[in-house]
Amino acid sequence: MDVVHREGNTMTLSIGPQHPSTHGVLQVIVEVSGETVERADMEIGYLHTGIEKSAENLFWTQASTVIERMDYLSPLSNALCYVLAVEKLLGVTEKIPERARQIRVLLCEAARIASHCVWLGTHAIDIGAISCFWYAFDIRENILDLTEQAGGARMHPNYLRVGGLNGDLPQGFLGKLDELIAKFPERMRELRTLLQNNPIWRDRTIDVGVLSLDDALAWGATGPVLRACGIAYDVRKAFPYSGYEGYEFDVPVRTEGDAYARFLVRLDEMDEAMRIIRQVRARLDSPGPIAVDDPKIIAPPKETIVLSMEALIHHFKMVSEGFRVPPGDVYQAVEGPRGELGYYIVSDGGNRPYRVRPRPPSLYNLQCLKQVAVGGLIADMVVTIGSLDPVFGEVDR
Amino acid sequence: MPSSQVPSIAGAAIDPPALRDPALDDALIERVDRAALRDRVVALRASGVTMLLDLGAVDYPERTPRFDAVYHFLTLPKKKATVTEVGTPKRIRLLVGVPVNDPVLPSLTDLWKNADWPEREIFDLFGIVFSGHPNLKRIQMPHDWEGAPLRKDYPLRGPAREKTPRPAFALKSNVPAGAPPSGKVAQALERQSRRTGDS
Repeated sequence: MDVVHREGNTMTLSIGPQHPSTHGVLQVIVEVSGETVERADMEIGYLHTGIEKSAENLFWTQASTVIERMDYLSPLSNALCYVLAVEKLLGVTEKIPERARQIRVLLCEAARIASHCVWLGTHAIDIGAISCFWYAFDIRENILDLTEQAGGARMHPNYLRVGGLNGDLPQGFLGKLDELIAKFPERMRELRTLLQNNPIWRDRTIDVGVLSLDDALAWGATGPVLRACGIAYDVRKAFPYSGYEGYEFDVPVRTEGDAYARFLVRLDEMDEAMRIIRQVRARLDSPGPIAVDDPKIIAPPKETIVLSMEALIHHFKMVSEGFRVPPGDVYQAVEGPRGELGYYIVSDGGNRPYRVRPRPPSLYNLQCLKQVAVGGLIADMVVTIGSLDPVFGEVDR
Repeated sequence: MPSSQVPSIAGAAIDPPALRDPALDDALIERVDRAALRDRVVALRASGVTMLLDLGAVDYPERTPRFDAVYHFLTLPKKKATVTEVGTPKRIRLLVGVPVNDPVLPSLTDLWKNADWPEREIFDLFGIVFSGHPNLKRIQMPHDWEGAPLRKDYPLRGPAREKTPRPAFALKSNVPAGAPPSGKVAQALERQSRRTGDS
């Protein structure tokens, strides 16, 4: 922290953008009187990488690689939202095979758990509970291994494709998944034991960073931040997609609206995500197609190019100029780990997206810090930032 | 592949939203004149719209008006609600045309606090001004940046990108900001544009 200005009893401090407790590159300029925050201004944009502009200059399939890099803790939710939107424009939503939808749900729920693990680990470190970090990252490590098996990369697999998936699950994937399912309840029990009734944790989070229900609506908060204020709005229930209506799960809600409520909502969400994963796992044993049977959208299997001229041509066309999408605009939303993640996509009938406008949940969730931090202590502001769980790849894009 | 070398295989659509089958979307779509925008939004608020979900913009250089501002609203209950009470909330999309010679829109920051950052972002990346915004300055790009990067005529890369004025911080030499490239850079650019036929 650098002292920027000092006058009478108040002092202006600049926290960040290189401060570990800001979870990335957030700069908060606070006016403090003693240790009480009187005003908090935020500066963002340090991680702006022009992803929207880049996406306009890539083919429809290529664009999902940069789009996955927005919310880098849950790349699959971004990819899912994007492919669902493009599939709507193409009019193939109904034709996506059941197995592809199930695997998408499976990986997105796993990504939700992995993302919450990062949030919990770093949030706990902010508050001073170091050991929790290793327990949380242990689960995340297993999930990243699964992602790597399925898509070939740990963080950004680019595994979801418009029209289906980039290949079926490999051998040995389900065995690893079963290991994770078996291990998960014990790990969650340990995490809860470490924190949930820990008096220090409760002292630091209860009645800290309180966001009232009216303010949550006014600031456009969604996801766990809104659900901790009492409204059970979950895109998976309100606007079901990718077959979520076929799974049984609850939407955890609390009413207190403080950091502890958000903590409990996210922990319960991890359990609910695992409940969905178990249901998907039970349906995954029977093989089936994993992409639409349309060579204009998904190129035929690589092996066929030595056998069939058409397959070779389709491959050549797919690599050299991609595919076209009928003109129009669409808004598609999914429930990301941080809230309503939406994409407003415009196509002009060409082979590249004309415009991709994401609705980044972190951007809206983080904005309320301007109001919530005021009147609290600086140390509590750190707790509040952690409990809002911003990801700067998404805030700055 | 630099965008300047491989043109997009594009359709002739100048106004894609007008061509689309509205049944694809679960939002109510409305095109509103910008003079009537605030009245419409106030009316929506009175009729139970509780959240400004998102605010974005699109550039259609061939069309008049050139820009579309895209507002998404959501009708959530104003009190504590369970999943069944929330049900399927209504999503409303307002499309507002903005001409390029007078790119001004009324700000919604007094109605919805969260309009602050997205409005600044549109100002930053599209150059649309929001009248009544309390703190309208660049948010994503550096404060001394020139141009509106998300406009379609803002080049991504290639010779045209190299010829756009540079912000001061990007210069390693004592060349003043905004000066056209000179010396070896200029020669290299000239060779490149001769090769690609882009003047």
